[in-house]
Amino acid sequence: MYAIECNNLTHYYGKKLVYENLSFKVGEGKILGLLGKNGAGKSTTINIMNGFLHPTAGECLIYGENSQHLTPATKEKIGFLIEGHIQYAFMNVHQIEKFYSGCYSRWNSEPYWELLSKLQVTPTQKISRMSCGQRSQVALGLILAQDPQLLVLDDFSMGLDPGYRRLFIDYLREYAKANNKTVFVTSHIIQDMERLIDDVLIMDYNRILAQQPVEEFMEKFCQYEIVLENPDMEFPETDLAVNIEQINDKVSFYGYQDISAVKGFLSGQGIAIRSIEEKEMNLEDAFIGLTGMY
Amino acid sequence: MYRSIFYKEWLKIRWALALFLLLGLIVLGNIFLNVRYGVRFMDAHDYWYRIIIQGANYAASLKYIPLLAGLGLAIAQYFPEIVSQRIKLTFHLPIRENKVLLIQHGFGLVCLLAVFATYLLVFIIGSAVYFPPEIIHMMLTTILPWFLGGLAAYSLAALIMLEPLWLYRVLYAVIAYGFVTQFYIRVVPLAYTKVLWVFALMAVITVIVILFSGYRFRKGEMHHG
Repeated sequence: MYAIECNNLTHYYGKKLVYENLSFKVGEGKILGLLGKNGAGKSTTINIMNGFLHPTAGECLIYGENSQHLTPATKEKIGFLIEGHIQYAFMNVHQIEKFYSGCYSRWNSEPYWELLSKLQVTPTQKISRMSCGQRSQVALGLILAQDPQLLVLDDFSMGLDPGYRRLFIDYLREYAKANNKTVFVTSHIIQDMERLIDDVLIMDYNRILAQQPVEEFMEKFCQYEIVLENPDMEFPETDLAVNIEQINDKVSFYGYQDISAVKGFLSGQGIAIRSIEEKEMNLEDAFIGLTGMY
Repeated sequence: MYRSIFYKEWLKIRWALALFLLLGLIVLGNIFLNVRYGVRFMDAHDYWYRIIIQGANYAASLKYIPLLAGLGLAIAQYFPEIVSQRIKLTFHLPIRENKVLLIQHGFGLVCLLAVFATYLLVFIIGSAVYFPPEIIHMMLTTILPWFLGGLAAYSLAALIMLEPLWLYRVLYAVIAYGFVTQFYIRVVPLAYTKVLWVFALMAVITVIVILFSGYRFRKGEMHHG
């Protein structure tokens, strides 16, 4: 059984199509990153997965149960971090731990207090008076103490400075791998994802652009920087490229082809070039290359 | 699980409860100071005449206190849930969504009833000092709709606050205003005696309307707005 299995999800907001027949699966023990531009449907997917949005068609199964009607036993297996690390801000760190400890049968407060010991917070300080970074640690600590099988983290990096982002990611990855947890994560800051995820799912408007292990994606997806002889020439479109960005004589050519196929295309088209070079990319470069800058 | 939910609700409403309890007691204190003044320092016969024959209501200043308490409690309890859509956290707890809503609403209702019971107890004790049981009974029948109105206002305010769309909130607020106003039309003693059970029924029905807002939230209506 998969931890998450979405089949033929279709959703419209009014007449606006978000996506059609979106299907993906997340195996147990995997850390999957959902990447996409604003408006590509990340939040829609998270909301459907958590039962806060009825899809127009299709279904999303969490441990085999429809996400719109999860039983309490399955909900206990899911740790959910809401975008912006939302928690009950009217409570202090002790009150919130006391509250959640009575809700979950597998509650283990140790990781919560361990994370909080790194923060400069007083025991009676309300969560509403904490910084965004401190709140993120409280929210993460609560999820870890819940000891869920599946962690759904919606834009965990929002509002966090680099230090807290790194702390969050390193702690989370170590925890997830040591305990065979499944993690479904979205983030605006893609460079963070590279340190965290096993698999990547990249969404564009209405469709999935890539779903595979992140290492495989980074190995197969390439960027070639081509310098044209004629800066006025408009580079032709081709099925070999998933995206082409041109600024004057410099062309960034993104695709899954090796360099010989690209050279073959250039000579076949009679395109005179000064140079062609494969560029190293990080995940953020690859994401922009795949989805385009606009 | 239940204890945890009660604990969370208690943390939200305890100050509001204390505030409205105090407010009610101050108003009741003021009422009986006025009664004392009327009986002792004015003409006691004349004062009784105004109450028994002319139908004056010595508890009139208590009229909107249960309404205020109901609205205030609903705000204290549900405003923290709708800020940043924190109700998602509540729905995510390992318990059925309708059940958790009914438990937390039921807890608020019990607390509100406890405050109202305190008001009524103080009212009965205070009245017993100056009036015979017949007048106390008449006054209780007169002021009971105000308390039922407070209960209805509490549940309807919860419905409005949890509703995901502003348009619907405004619509519900207009309907709720018309509904709750019915509990406060007359101040004349015994005006509502024969329809008291209708008011009680109306107040009871409002208890479950919160489930509708919960359903609309989980359906994702706010995303379609």
